[in-house]
Amino acid sequence: MKIIAMDVMSTGAIAYYVFISSRDGLSSPIFNQETPLQYADPVPQAVILTAIVIGFSIQALMLVGAMKLAHHNPTLETNEIEDNNTP
Amino acid sequence: MMSLTIIWIALPLFIGLTIYLLPKLDRYLALATVLMSFGYGLNLFLSQTSQQFQLLDNFGVSFWVDSLSSQFILTNALVTGAVILYSSFQNKTAFFYSQAIILHGSVNAVFICADFMSLYVALEVIGVAAFLLVSYPRSDRALWVALRYLFVSNTSMLFYLIGAILVYQANHSFAFTGLTNAPPEAIALIFLGLLSKGGVFVSGLWLPLTHSESESPVSALLSGSVVKAGVFPLLRCALLMDELLPVVQILGISTSFFGIIYALFEKDAKRILALSTISQLGWMMVAPMVAGVYALAHGLVKSLLFLASGALPTRNLDELRVKPMYSGLWLILLVGGLSMSGFPGFLGFSAKVSTLKSLSDWPEILMNVSSVGTALIFGKFIFLPHKRQGGHLKPGLILAALLLIVSLLVGNVLYLQAYSLANLGKALAVIGLGWLGYWLFIKRQDLKLPRMFEQFDNLVGSMSLVLIVLFWMVFT
Repeated sequence: MKIIAMDVMSTGAIAYYVFISSRDGLSSPIFNQETPLQYADPVPQAVILTAIVIGFSIQALMLVGAMKLAHHNPTLETNEIEDNNTP
Repeated sequence: MMSLTIIWIALPLFIGLTIYLLPKLDRYLALATVLMSFGYGLNLFLSQTSQQFQLLDNFGVSFWVDSLSSQFILTNALVTGAVILYSSFQNKTAFFYSQAIILHGSVNAVFICADFMSLYVALEVIGVAAFLLVSYPRSDRALWVALRYLFVSNTSMLFYLIGAILVYQANHSFAFTGLTNAPPEAIALIFLGLLSKGGVFVSGLWLPLTHSESESPVSALLSGSVVKAGVFPLLRCALLMDELLPVVQILGISTSFFGIIYALFEKDAKRILALSTISQLGWMMVAPMVAGVYALAHGLVKSLLFLASGALPTRNLDELRVKPMYSGLWLILLVGGLSMSGFPGFLGFSAKVSTLKSLSDWPEILMNVSSVGTALIFGKFIFLPHKRQGGHLKPGLILAALLLIVSLLVGNVLYLQAYSLANLGKALAVIGLGWLGYWLFIKRQDLKLPRMFEQFDNLVGSMSLVLIVLFWMVFT
């Protein structure tokens, strides 16, 4: 559950990047001599691509960890796992 | 210089993958990479240059190498080198070395980045590599600790990302220099991300459990070099912007006391070391100008102590007081403890003196009190009983300890200006006071601080509270 929640948070951060980049305009930044366009800023979109990939791989790693933990803690309640595993 | 830097930054990642393909050569490849890194750092340190490069075009990756980063790079190289020497006598698989080298490379990348995006990528790689190293034993506990670490670090990086885009919005560039024009909420968000990642102050309370429950080479690596990756960008920002300097200093002072107070009431050897890491991070933040020396001193000693703690018969200090340990091991703890408390003759002394010299007024007084606290904590280790026979040290530990202790002594020679009569007297007085305090109070007390704030839910919650405090600090 917490892992899904983290994914929702990262989706929020990504959406914010897209939102900021589209503040000046919505069209793609293709140079056109006749009609200068109001284009969306490509830099944040390019940069957030990295964050999407990283977020995805972290998600995968955490789910594998959770699967491993599920062998001994089938309910996956964090409180229970924490009580069992803190000295 | 530029192509050398690019090769140096890309090599660990490349070697990390190669180790996996050629598992027979693992430790040699790893050691060679670390040696190269050490050479690069030393060259940078001796030449004292400061250079900035921009790769690709305006929005590309930017690097900034100077003497501050060179000291951090040296720390990283020595710590990783010692850890690899230590583990090469244990049966670690190629996977361990490959992750350690990737971690080494990404920590190096943090020390030379000059823009928020490359910093983000480097910090995330650190997070993933550290997760894999902590979960290496694959026991339930290790997995839980590692998951908790990855969760906290990823959440803090989300805050950081939002801060980074706000900086971009204000400047149309991700460079560190853009922080000057950025709105206060951007600074607060970025600082929160870095503080939580670096394990500083209340938002860094994930650190004690993670560092104490990992295997000793991994905790040495985490405590010796990885935590500095969170602090280094903070120092960079504080040096770039004078307005931020007091904020970082106040955070540093509170962190140093926070760590010490927690460590005083702790009985578990590895937890004391982890908590003292928190307090030492505070020391680095108090004086950004000379933080490099401090980072070097702290990284060497902390990895030495963590590696030695792996050989202790038990982690509980009460039991260690009754059961004497082998003298060789005690000697290592003694050297570490003395250097950490700032005893003349070790690098820790020069680092403490130069930090204190760059302060004035009330921060100086507070930090002097804090150094008494440090001496007090390490009194717990120094005054443990020991016996000459009935034990031996593992060859890996001997090699690693030799490397670290020799560098502590050699590093000392580089900062000879610290040796004046007044400084010597002061250092001895501080240590004397600390040890007196140990014998009078700490040895007898039996209080335990609650660990409530280290619970998983509270870690994430305290992050948002710290964010509000930071916003208020930056805003005023």
